[in-house]
Amino acid sequence: MINGTVPGPPLWDRRLRFVLGKGGVGKSTVSAALGLAEARAGKRVLVIEVAGQHRVARLFGAAEVHGEQAVELAPGLSVVSIDPERATEEYLAGQLKVRPVVEMLTRSKAFHTFAAAAPGLPELVTVGKVWSLAIALDEEGAPAWDVLVVDCPATGHGVAMLETAANVEEMVGQGPIADQAARIHEVVSHPAATGIVVVARPEELAVSEAVEAVGILRADGLPVAATVLNGVRDARFAPEERDALAAVAATGSTAVRAAAEAALRHLGHEEDDAAYRERLADAGVPVLTLPEVVLRRFDVEALEVLAGHLAAGAGATAPAA
Amino acid sequence: MIADLADRRLVVCAGAGGVGKTTVSAAVALRLARAGARTVVVTIDPARRLATALGMTGLADTPQRVPPRPVLGDGAGEMWALQLDARATFDRLVSRYAPDAEARERILGNRIYRHLSGTVAGAQEYMAVERLHELIDEGRFDRIVLDTPPAANALDFLDAPARITRFIEGRALRLLLRPAHAAGGLGWRLLHAGSSTVISVLERLTGAQLLRDVADFLADFEGMHQGFADRAKAVRTMLMSDDSAFLVVSAPEADPLAQALSLADRLRHDGFPFLGVVLNRVHPLPPGGLPRHDAMRDALTAADAPDPDDLAARAIATLAEDQVLGLRDLDAREFLRTALHGGQVVEIPAFTHEPVELSGIAEVAAALGP
Repeated sequence: MINGTVPGPPLWDRRLRFVLGKGGVGKSTVSAALGLAEARAGKRVLVIEVAGQHRVARLFGAAEVHGEQAVELAPGLSVVSIDPERATEEYLAGQLKVRPVVEMLTRSKAFHTFAAAAPGLPELVTVGKVWSLAIALDEEGAPAWDVLVVDCPATGHGVAMLETAANVEEMVGQGPIADQAARIHEVVSHPAATGIVVVARPEELAVSEAVEAVGILRADGLPVAATVLNGVRDARFAPEERDALAAVAATGSTAVRAAAEAALRHLGHEEDDAAYRERLADAGVPVLTLPEVVLRRFDVEALEVLAGHLAAGAGATAPAA
Repeated sequence: MIADLADRRLVVCAGAGGVGKTTVSAAVALRLARAGARTVVVTIDPARRLATALGMTGLADTPQRVPPRPVLGDGAGEMWALQLDARATFDRLVSRYAPDAEARERILGNRIYRHLSGTVAGAQEYMAVERLHELIDEGRFDRIVLDTPPAANALDFLDAPARITRFIEGRALRLLLRPAHAAGGLGWRLLHAGSSTVISVLERLTGAQLLRDVADFLADFEGMHQGFADRAKAVRTMLMSDDSAFLVVSAPEADPLAQALSLADRLRHDGFPFLGVVLNRVHPLPPGGLPRHDAMRDALTAADAPDPDDLAARAIATLAEDQVLGLRDLDAREFLRTALHGGQVVEIPAFTHEPVELSGIAEVAAALGP
């Protein structure tokens, strides 16, 4: 970890982690790798997908997860997908306690129109469901999960989801929903229990969106624990080597030239990546980097590589530092 | 692919998030401008450097001309760009249909409306469609290229207008939130005391204020929703006609490819003029095999490289990785061609530097082929 400190413990000591970022930066990959790293360390991990997504399950080659049951994808690592509509019904059932009233409500078109308009209701029930999973207990009365990783929707909607519990009181005024929102907000904004991870790729828009998101979240008092720069090329060539490579790229035989060109491209990427990393560090929170995984097929093997990388990083930045 | 856009007035670039839709949209617009058309590209959320390259300063909700540059050709064509401001577009739509100034102010100030026009899923998509309508009405441009908003699901773009107009219409909720008939009444009043169990249950959960706001909002939109629905329908008709073309942008990775395929299927199924897929950021397969280590080392020694032996090994390893990436993307292309069932596929190579300057856009534009 470099440049920047945040209130609260390192990411690794926070039990509930929200993974955010622009579309296409690899949020699901990072969520899965974070989960896998912890599961390999013997923790019981639940990765939570929202908005009816099933990307993490697909990364493990598992069939889509339906229903409310968590499915174990690897030893110690389970996944569950929150469907906002079902979560809304479940939430109402919990609030109203009278099953026929809930059924009457969810069958009513007026209710669905209302639910679509009610500011933040789908986001609130989603975060509420995350919260109930976080406080769930196993048969022995111990917490069911040691670590929970939430694969959030793309930045704008993801930030809205995390802010929703804070805003809902203003929108809704008073009532059971507002009360619960206050309880949820307490957990989501708790820097010892919760950590938000903002993911970027070494690309212009992804990095500027991540920096912006960190600023917004911190201004809202939400606990950003780290940013992740995903897909970074390893440091392999030095600028002093450029001239020789360029000379060979201009004159060599086909294969020799191709290797020199590949090396020059790599060096260009390395320099770009370093600049993006610096910009990300300017957001003022620790930056974790994940290497670009060069495999013909991105599968569990690739996830293992990334998880190993994260675990090594966690060891190197143990709380003693 | 570009040749097939010759008589299309609207070009829509759709696809999953993070695949380079904005870049491809700008590149398509550049090609159309080069060919002599006055073209505007409607971007949603361009990277700041790209926005600057396109001559946009700040949040430019009105079209701004991209300064003439050699890459734009020397013909009669012009390239313009604008950045969609969903909120401002929605506000104009309200102003257009509000019966009077008072109603307009009431709606613009209603917190349900503010929420709806700002962050609600689908509002941006809906307003992109509305902005198309405005631009068509203005008649200033020969060609309009639309970059669709980032969404969790690329299909959201097609469904949002109907979903939001349905909500504004809100028939079911209207029946429950009956209007007060008092002369000059402030919109609708809730019927209380058991008149509707649904309402009383909702009220118990959320407090009465939220319901009252929803009721006021729907009351204020009374009489306006037809205009909204008509406009959304007019654009949909236009998008389904032969004046339009849909390009689906994808990256050679599993998730965006899956979304591209379902989007293509959906477009064809619903009768939209789907033209093909732009497969962006494809790593070309390097020509030939790997060089022998001694040949590489000797070439580097002749070029005065420091530690040529080690550098040769690293360079060869890098080329080997590029081969893996080339093969991976070849797999993606084959998968796409097999699964697409018709429609063109155009590939854009992965450039070393991200195309955020106009020169980079021009490179992508050239790669779009004839």
